[in-house]
Amino acid sequence: MIQFNNVHLRFDTGISLRELNFAIHPQEFVYIYGPSGSGKSSILKMCYFELFPNVGSVTVLGENTSKLKRQKIAASRQKIGRVFQTSKLLDDRDIYGNLALPLELRGDKTAAIRQQVVRRADELGLRSRLSHFPTELSLGEQQRVSLARAVISKPDLLLADEPLIHLDAEYADLVLKWLWQLNQGGMTIILATNNEQLIQQEPARTLSLEAGALLEDYSA
Amino acid sequence: MKLAYIIREGILGIRRSRYAFMISVFSVTLALVLIGIGVLAVDNGLQYIGDLQPDYDLEVFLNKDASNQEQRDVATSIKEYPGVIRSEYLSKEDAAAIYNAEFGEDVLSLLEDNPLPSSFRVTFEDQHRTGPAIQSFIISMEYLSGVDEVIFKKDLFERVQGILQSIYLIAAAGIFIIILFSVFMTANNLRLMILARFDYIETVRLLGAGDFMVKAPFFFEGGILGFIGGLLAVLAIAGFEWGLRFLHIIDLPVNILSQPEFMLGTILFGISIASLGVLKAVRKMLRFVS
Repeated sequence: MIQFNNVHLRFDTGISLRELNFAIHPQEFVYIYGPSGSGKSSILKMCYFELFPNVGSVTVLGENTSKLKRQKIAASRQKIGRVFQTSKLLDDRDIYGNLALPLELRGDKTAAIRQQVVRRADELGLRSRLSHFPTELSLGEQQRVSLARAVISKPDLLLADEPLIHLDAEYADLVLKWLWQLNQGGMTIILATNNEQLIQQEPARTLSLEAGALLEDYSA
Repeated sequence: MKLAYIIREGILGIRRSRYAFMISVFSVTLALVLIGIGVLAVDNGLQYIGDLQPDYDLEVFLNKDASNQEQRDVATSIKEYPGVIRSEYLSKEDAAAIYNAEFGEDVLSLLEDNPLPSSFRVTFEDQHRTGPAIQSFIISMEYLSGVDEVIFKKDLFERVQGILQSIYLIAAAGIFIIILFSVFMTANNLRLMILARFDYIETVRLLGAGDFMVKAPFFFEGGILGFIGGLLAVLAIAGFEWGLRFLHIIDLPVNILSQPEFMLGTILFGISIASLGVLKAVRKMLRFVS
């Protein structure tokens, strides 16, 4: 599903990633673990066609990201769910509108959209918040909305960047279990975190990074 | 469903940034009013100069003893000549009546026989109303039997044509500058309006929207903006003309309300510059979104 071949990524300010070689297979649950600035977000961005390697190649869902045309990027992104470090919710519409957006962009029918939005909102305890606006929600609630939006179109792959960071212990536990359920249902999940306890709580394959290099690749 | 999304997002976009939208409408209206008044001023100027010209371009006088057949041949030759838009036959009696009207004297009471010749008054299409074209017409007419002479008021004709040409040139340059200024001003306002929506553009792009789905609602919104701007411009120009008439400053012979095609053109031009301007601004913005 994802293949990194000798990937180097360089920013103007310095090297971000170096000599990355790994593969992630369908239906895997993978943690990308490392301290801040170790390159976790850069890996997720490369998987989502936001960044491209200077050297080497990244293949996602069978496509070499560097060779993909702009129009095909949009189509490929529709098969991927993405949770960003910031929630990236649109303040000009309510939670229902935010959750419905990916489905509307895909051209789904209103009834199907409503059914899917209500289902995901129920799963993450957001039903009573559907008519609220993002600015009326706590950071934790916004994070859950962002998670619900990422999986609303039933993607094959979920890329989550620190998805539990603003959640209290109770919801962090609920969301982690929910992510595992999604994984049991066939969704490939890559979760970037710097929280080691999280990995110990629900162990899985972990790619451990330090200063842009892959330190360890170990399975639970 | 995608169409419904495009229309809904376009309308919501207006509501979400209503102040920026209103400023952009004002800017489109102002641009169209400037262009419209410029065009109308030129139209009226041309109409005024055109009124200085006689109703016809030249007069073909027939021999006094031209036979009916010769008169018919001359009439046919004139009618079939390229660029002739109208030819009017004036009999000897018509000529006497005109003489009477212009000079207040009955030519028949002064002379026993009517000495005035019959003639054809000839008018050319605008694109054929040039010195060389009229000169070659005169030459071909003078070869026809039955034609006595062709009278062409060359001095007046050339002076009017010269003034018209200068007006065309000045007007074209003026309107070009107004259009340039207006489009630049409108484009800048539209860019500011779109800049305020950067978050939306970035988010929908990151959620998997292709360029078309990002641009289409803005294109629709631009169309509405241009339509409202165009409509307001038509009303403003009509109001301006009404004001001139009401205050007895000038009663314009060419006005916007008498020209449906001008009104429609203004609105369509508004829709075009607004929707294309918005599209250009979004395209620029998309360069900064991965």
